[in-house]
Amino acid sequence: MSSASATTGGPPPAVRVEGVSKRYGDRLAVDGVRLEIRPGEFFGLLGPNGAGKSTLIEIMEGLRRADSGTVALFGRPPWPRDTSLLPRIGVQTQSSAFFVRQTAHEHLRTVAALYGAPRGAVDRTLEAVGLTGQRKVRVEALSGGQRQRLAIASALVHGPELIFLDEPTAALDPQARRDLWEVLRGLKAEGRTIVYTTHHLDEAEALCDRIAILVDGRIAVTDSPHNLVTASRAPSRVLLPLGLLDAERAAAVEGVERVDVQGGSLVLETHTVGQVLSAVDRISGLDGVQTRTASLEDVYLDLTSRLSGTAAAAPAPAETTEP
Amino acid sequence: MSAYAALTGAGYRAQVRDKTTLFFTFAFPLLFLVVFGLIFKGQAVEESGLSYLSYTAAGVLSWGVANAAVFGIAFTLMQWRSDDILRLIRMSPAPLSAVIGSRYVIALVVGAVQSLLFVGVAMLPVFGLEPASGWPLLVPVLALGVTTFLLLGVIIGSFANTPESVAAVANFLMLPMAFLSGSFFPLDSMPGWLQKVSLVMPLRYLNDAVSHALAGRGDASDVWTGCAGLLVFAVVFGAVAVKTFRWTRSS
Ligand SMILES: Nc1ncnc2c1ncn2[C@@H]1O[C@H](COP(=O)(O)OP(=O)(O)OP(=O)(O)O)[C@@H](O)[C@H]1O
Ligand SMILES: [Mg+2]
Repeated sequence: MSSASATTGGPPPAVRVEGVSKRYGDRLAVDGVRLEIRPGEFFGLLGPNGAGKSTLIEIMEGLRRADSGTVALFGRPPWPRDTSLLPRIGVQTQSSAFFVRQTAHEHLRTVAALYGAPRGAVDRTLEAVGLTGQRKVRVEALSGGQRQRLAIASALVHGPELIFLDEPTAALDPQARRDLWEVLRGLKAEGRTIVYTTHHLDEAEALCDRIAILVDGRIAVTDSPHNLVTASRAPSRVLLPLGLLDAERAAAVEGVERVDVQGGSLVLETHTVGQVLSAVDRISGLDGVQTRTASLEDVYLDLTSRLSGTAAAAPAPAETTEP
Repeated sequence: MSAYAALTGAGYRAQVRDKTTLFFTFAFPLLFLVVFGLIFKGQAVEESGLSYLSYTAAGVLSWGVANAAVFGIAFTLMQWRSDDILRLIRMSPAPLSAVIGSRYVIALVVGAVQSLLFVGVAMLPVFGLEPASGWPLLVPVLALGVTTFLLLGVIIGSFANTPESVAAVANFLMLPMAFLSGSFFPLDSMPGWLQKVSLVMPLRYLNDAVSHALAGRGDASDVWTGCAGLLVFAVVFGAVAVKTFRWTRSS
């Protein structure tokens, strides 16, 4: 983890969360979370269903109140409602909200007006999320993915510096997902800060400067995807076409830790890819052989399976400050 | 465009595009007029000598306007909260006054259209209503009535989380109030203590004021007492509404 609270001088962090906990009944949804997100950073919040991502994001946005701990956006608390802070923030929630019986354009125009954003921003934002063709379609008649794009547009239309997106790509088709990546990269290039959640690990790897993995309301790890993958002990895989080598001989190759048949390939798990490849080359040649290095997904699955259910046993970091 | 203007525009479009609600908002009071008009055709209310119809027209009009104001805002706020629209507004710098203000204008327009339609129909030869000389007073009286009942609706809309509970709570308040305030039957025919009970109900004041302005019952002091009563309730409801307003379902 980074040495967060020791910042001296300079602009305040875009988001600072300290010792934040939130309880629903007897369920601790967020448990002593501490986070700091720098201006301009693209920050990913990952974790299994029910880990507390949405709850944590809503606490950061000021939509929910933490039971304990403090949140500051650009050095200012988001709760209670602070109308001078709000124009700097854009929010897309997991359930999209639209003004009823309006067209896509009318809805976005209304949202823009709530922020006092210029009218030109409406068409530009619709264009950016690829909804220009649907501008005259009623929000009720949009497809799931189109609704999601409109929700994202509603978060972006006033040009916020800090953008919170809760699973923005969940309902998007692969092309729309890539298109949104470009939109988000563009926003990052303009220096905006983005905090977002996703269940697509490839996406987090492709976009995020840093990610935090939340398990049972606690942050298990915060780092760059690159460092996480490098530091992980997750094995790489060598995929041999079936029939190239039988399983016993493959298992006997030095450096091979596990042998498995998956999806029409013989899969060898190893931490020493080079050594295994040259051994296979000597025995059978490398025709049709593929290698897969550990990905963020492997790291994530490894971490979440080790930690989920066990968090309750560990002592909770008690960092309670003023409400 | 200001937040207020944008919300008013969106609210107006939502209103006119919902043909069913639109129809019933305006048809409901007319239905009562027709029913009561047919039942009591030609009868006069004892003592006052007024035709029963002119009595009923004033009562049904004030009830209809009050009802639409309460239901309109209560449903909208409940719906906006459960659709997370309030949350979207909460995350923008738009003030709460823009939200309520935009609904207020819409409620005033609905009330005006309702009244014109209602009085127009009541003046048809079948019903034969002849507006009293004080009828222009209807404008400020009904506007004040809309204000008071809209604020009551804001409170209901902040507590209720489902359409069913809005309907249940609003009906629970508005229907007994209509009978006890003399909207449908003359108060004179009720026991004295019941007439006193009606004094703590805002609809009684709207009724009295509208009755004088439209049907010429009582005297001008009824209008001023009515307005004063409505104003007191508006201040009380307004204070409670501000205290109980919720942007989101839970925090
Ligand atoms: N309003 C609420 N009342 C009670 N419990 C809640 C409420 N909101 C969330 N929870 C609980 O808190 C926990 C965390 O929920 P949260 O929505 O933050 O998860 P998440 O990480 O966003 O999950 P997902 O990936 O499915 O979106 C869950 O166990 C959920 O049941
Ligand atoms: Mg969530």
